[in-house]
Amino acid sequence: MLVGLDRSSLFSLQGKVALLTGASGFLGLTFAETLLANSAHLIAIGRPGKLSKQEQVWSEKYGSGRVHCYYVDMYNLEALAKTLDEIAQRHAVDVLINNAHELAPSSGFNTPAGSLDQGTMDVWMRNLTAGVCWPALTVQKIGAGMKDRGRGSIINISTMYAVVAPRPVLYEGTTFLNPPAYSASKAAMIAFTRYVASFWGSYGIRANAILPGPFSNTEDAGPNSVQVGDPFIERLKANTCLGRIGRAGELAGALLFLASEASSYVTGQSIRVDGEWTAV
Amino acid sequence: MADKLEVTEATKRAQALFDLTGRVAVITGGAGLLGTKHAEIIAAAGGSPVLLDLPQAKPEAAAAAIATKYGVDATGLAVDITQLAQIDNVRNELLARFRRIDILINNAANNPKVESGGSKVWSRLENFPLEVWNDDLRVGLTGAFLCSRVFGSEMAKRGKGVILNIASDLAVIAPDQRLYRQEGIPEDQQPVKPVTYSVVKTGLIGLTRYLATYWATSGVRVNAISPGGVFNNQPPAFLAELHQRIPLARMAHADEYQGSILFLCSDASSYMTGANLIVDGGRTCW
Repeated sequence: MLVGLDRSSLFSLQGKVALLTGASGFLGLTFAETLLANSAHLIAIGRPGKLSKQEQVWSEKYGSGRVHCYYVDMYNLEALAKTLDEIAQRHAVDVLINNAHELAPSSGFNTPAGSLDQGTMDVWMRNLTAGVCWPALTVQKIGAGMKDRGRGSIINISTMYAVVAPRPVLYEGTTFLNPPAYSASKAAMIAFTRYVASFWGSYGIRANAILPGPFSNTEDAGPNSVQVGDPFIERLKANTCLGRIGRAGELAGALLFLASEASSYVTGQSIRVDGEWTAV
Repeated sequence: MADKLEVTEATKRAQALFDLTGRVAVITGGAGLLGTKHAEIIAAAGGSPVLLDLPQAKPEAAAAAIATKYGVDATGLAVDITQLAQIDNVRNELLARFRRIDILINNAANNPKVESGGSKVWSRLENFPLEVWNDDLRVGLTGAFLCSRVFGSEMAKRGKGVILNIASDLAVIAPDQRLYRQEGIPEDQQPVKPVTYSVVKTGLIGLTRYLATYWATSGVRVNAISPGGVFNNQPPAFLAELHQRIPLARMAHADEYQGSILFLCSDASSYMTGANLIVDGGRTCW
């Protein structure tokens, strides 16, 4: 039998090594916590600052042997490649989660500089680098070992905006803007996911994407966060059939499913966790 | 916000996230090859499976075996799911006993084997008997509709529930009839996958989306899974052909859908509804 029937072992990450990019972001924190709480060994990549503080917190909670953080500015592709080589040498990664994306004015969020009419090439390149080049590099560097070991699960965090466009009316009169470069890069990410699933399936490597719906960051004061009670949230709610935005923890199930043996026959798929945003 | 889905609380443990303790799950076609597998994972997660099947499939015996193996309350009921009165009876019986119905898995479907030879191959579209068409739709679609109507309405009344429709990779792609070809048989006698299978399974996806929006605010989530074929000692030549069409290069194991079933039946998928989870080894991704 490929998987244990016991629900705790079917979805268990015991003994698995998981590499997570963007671990200190809003959803990244949830993913990291989910991986650690379910017994995975966490390798996190990100910029120092928030992540270094988080490493401390995780180490105290789960033990220092359970977490390894690697600090790098991912936009420095050369440095990122070197870091990935180092990780591949030191750790036999079972699960790779491409979660990092820059959701900031520099990548065109919440600024006219990101818009369809005015988006700069710099904004476009920052999005395409994050959505396409980062996964391409991590998959290449970390996937080599997965091929050798004959197993691996790659999980790319895309968005519902890769399959449907943002509706202008949702953003009208707000300071929020979701740039076209983000949609394009995340749609490309899904195509890349299928490509990996197709070419590396026979090596026992699975590649899937999660497409979160409206998971607004209402919890901290980042550049892309939203205040609870903001009318923008009401608009988002009204656009789902469930009538509410997602709670970050509601992505934990999909992550555990894809990371564990529970999904051993699932590959090349995009799992929409969107409260039925895309069904109507 | 003291929500049970806060990361720092229940979600961090797979056991709680995927727990079905105390939940009553009705499974149609429950005594079949996959139906019993669905029932097993429900039982393993602490739920009480209720296996509905035709008398000749012996649902009581299948339920008894699961009850013994997992030490849970498992029920088998001989029912024809195309008969509304019989489904109503099941609902009344379950409500009297458990006071709740939490999960419905619409799993029942006719799945006749692709046969070969004969001067008139019934499965070919030109010959396909109207009675078979009607019967396949009655079991696969009407049965799913009636069960959703009866059990789903009960869930909507209580404000909580999950319906899971078992579709197929053939709800997403067409059957590749070349897989079933046999040497030395004239073209008009080549065996084929019956048209009803594609129609029933694709119809279930439509039902899934319809019910998901219909009951979205009533707390009833409705999703589908689209599984690929299960390895069951098929002939090596067939397997070799099929494997070439699947990135993972193999069919599924009979127990390999259990993870998807539990994921979609439990609170682990609380923000998912109207979705179709394709579990096909990658067959439809290239």
